[in-house]
Amino acid sequence: MTALGAGLFRIAHAVRPRVLPAAATLAAVGLVTGAIFLFREGVPVLSLGTLYVFAVLPVAVVWGRAYAVLAAVASMLAFNWFFLPPRHTLRLEDRQNWLALAVYLFTAVAVSDLAARARRRADEAEQREREEALLAELSLALLHGQGVEGELGRAGAAIAAAVGASEARLELGSVRGAAAGERPLALRTGDRRIGTLYLSGSPAQGSRGPGRERFLSALAALLAVALDREELGREALEAERLRLSDAVKTAVLRAVSHDLRSPLTAIRVAAESLASPSVRLSDDERTRQLETVRAESERLDRLVANLLDLSRLQAGAASPERELVAADELLAQALSALRDDEGRVKVSLPADTPLVEVDPVQIERTLVNLLENALRFSPPRDTVRVEVSATEDQVVFGIVDRGPGIPRGQLERVFEPFAQAGDDERSGTGLGLAIARGFAEANGGRVWAESRPGEGARFSLAFPLVRAAVGVER
Amino acid sequence: MSGPRVLVVDDEPQLLRALATTLHGAGYEVETAPTGEEALVQAAVRPPDAVVLDLVLPGKSGTDVCRELREWSDVPVLVLSAVGDEREKVAALDAGADDYVTKPFGIDELLARLRAALRRTRPSGEPTIEVGDLRIDLEQRAVFSGGERVRLTPHEFALLRLLARNEGKLLTHRAILREVWGPAYETESHYLHVYVSQLRRKLEPDPARPRTLLTEPGVGYRLVAPAA
Repeated sequence: MTALGAGLFRIAHAVRPRVLPAAATLAAVGLVTGAIFLFREGVPVLSLGTLYVFAVLPVAVVWGRAYAVLAAVASMLAFNWFFLPPRHTLRLEDRQNWLALAVYLFTAVAVSDLAARARRRADEAEQREREEALLAELSLALLHGQGVEGELGRAGAAIAAAVGASEARLELGSVRGAAAGERPLALRTGDRRIGTLYLSGSPAQGSRGPGRERFLSALAALLAVALDREELGREALEAERLRLSDAVKTAVLRAVSHDLRSPLTAIRVAAESLASPSVRLSDDERTRQLETVRAESERLDRLVANLLDLSRLQAGAASPERELVAADELLAQALSALRDDEGRVKVSLPADTPLVEVDPVQIERTLVNLLENALRFSPPRDTVRVEVSATEDQVVFGIVDRGPGIPRGQLERVFEPFAQAGDDERSGTGLGLAIARGFAEANGGRVWAESRPGEGARFSLAFPLVRAAVGVER
Repeated sequence: MSGPRVLVVDDEPQLLRALATTLHGAGYEVETAPTGEEALVQAAVRPPDAVVLDLVLPGKSGTDVCRELREWSDVPVLVLSAVGDEREKVAALDAGADDYVTKPFGIDELLARLRAALRRTRPSGEPTIEVGDLRIDLEQRAVFSGGERVRLTPHEFALLRLLARNEGKLLTHRAILREVWGPAYETESHYLHVYVSQLRRKLEPDPARPRTLLTEPGVGYRLVAPAA
């Protein structure tokens, strides 16, 4: 029972689109028949047959040729039945009337055909206009948008509206298979497959044939240009990146070469002078040359250690072994590693003993590098202050120098490897600060610089304060 | 009894100290300057007999110092350079430096180059120049190698004369081309390579292993008396 009902419903559903135009066609024919009935007293009835054109024409314009032909045939049957003798039969007394009927029918069909064709042209023109507007809009979006993929996501609805589908989506690249109810349309320019346009919902609607082809190829060409443009942009970006990384490598090589060779040359010259028969040195001079060899060897060692640290940091291989350490102990280790023979570093510690959880070796390096940097940029024999302070949630090591300071725009740049403020060659390869920041961040800390040019700089190293449950005896 | 006065210019204090001590021990009177600007002032106040000049300096570069020095002084300049500084090295030589040593250099090399730079005589009025067993008669435009007359084309002769007048000094490609072929040929280094090769065939006993007309790769040529 329900199956029968469903079947009937389906048939009604399928038939309904045709019922309305057919009924309207017959109504139009009936209307004209009525009009002829009114006029038939004053006018020869045969000439009134032309009035049926007024039924055929609107039907042709609105519903197309099939219904127009239906209207024409129905008109001639009605004319014959109601007005041509013998009336109320489909027979004809006068042979001439057959000819008249044939002429009417032919005229009606011809006129309906012209009308239907005009209608279709108008439809196509409108469709093309919609498509062109869409293409223009799409090309603008692709030109100024963020990327082809993203713009296509947004363009789906507009494409659907333009081609008269309920939904449309565009996939770039090779076909990924259509979902249920989707119709795939290939987008290509020349031999190149750009992607696929999937349409769903009322696929019978929308123009077909050459118009659709034209739209698809225009869309494909537009997408091809946009994709090529995007690719070129990417390549240009990549080329720029490579060029920059080349420039960085060259700078690194130059800096390392200069910084390795200077101490190496000093060592070689000093060492050879001690042995050369053509150089005569006093005892003082010998001591001085030996001191040069020692100091420059240490410098080389530090440089190599810095390079190693930096490459470990950049490879992400500097995994810290964190443990609870007292801030003042970290500072004490750093000061003993610094070999501050002249006592230029002055320290002020807080009353209590803040704890941090860091890798003591790495943070010792961080502090040493920050201190070395401060000493290097301070006037000789000038002091560098270290202030350790603890707030609610962090411990801060402040390293304050009275050097030339750092220009505002350079405050972040000084932490880049091989970068240094200004053209000053004193800072060597400029690895120290980069390593300090790398280790600090690997240990959950932060490093930053503040400065007023001409008044020195303050470098701060901060770590989260650890509230360890250490029972401090009072 | 102190020897010639040498002005050493380097921004690395340790290297400056090692060089000063060494040169002093080798019998030179030494003055030092950490920057190009100070070097120029010192050279003007007390003209040295030779300058040992680092190429990489803060502020004025070694090449700048060379160029400014040459505006009023013929003092021999020995440049300290590093591998990778090739372009800068050539620029310094073109700006008037006499020679270079590459870091890290040994002191024997440094002292030898310094001695050669100090010994080098400026072009004299002598009508003949002798380098090893080469004899060049400038008036007759005749060249003898081991006593035998060698026939040279006009450009070959001009090239040899230039190198011989600057015996021991390193001449850059650009300087030789400008002198021998003219300023329009400064970058046409293939001329030079061809003519040097021809000269070697005529003058060197073993042209593949030259001992008199020496190449400094990428920089230039120098003519020396072969080591015995």
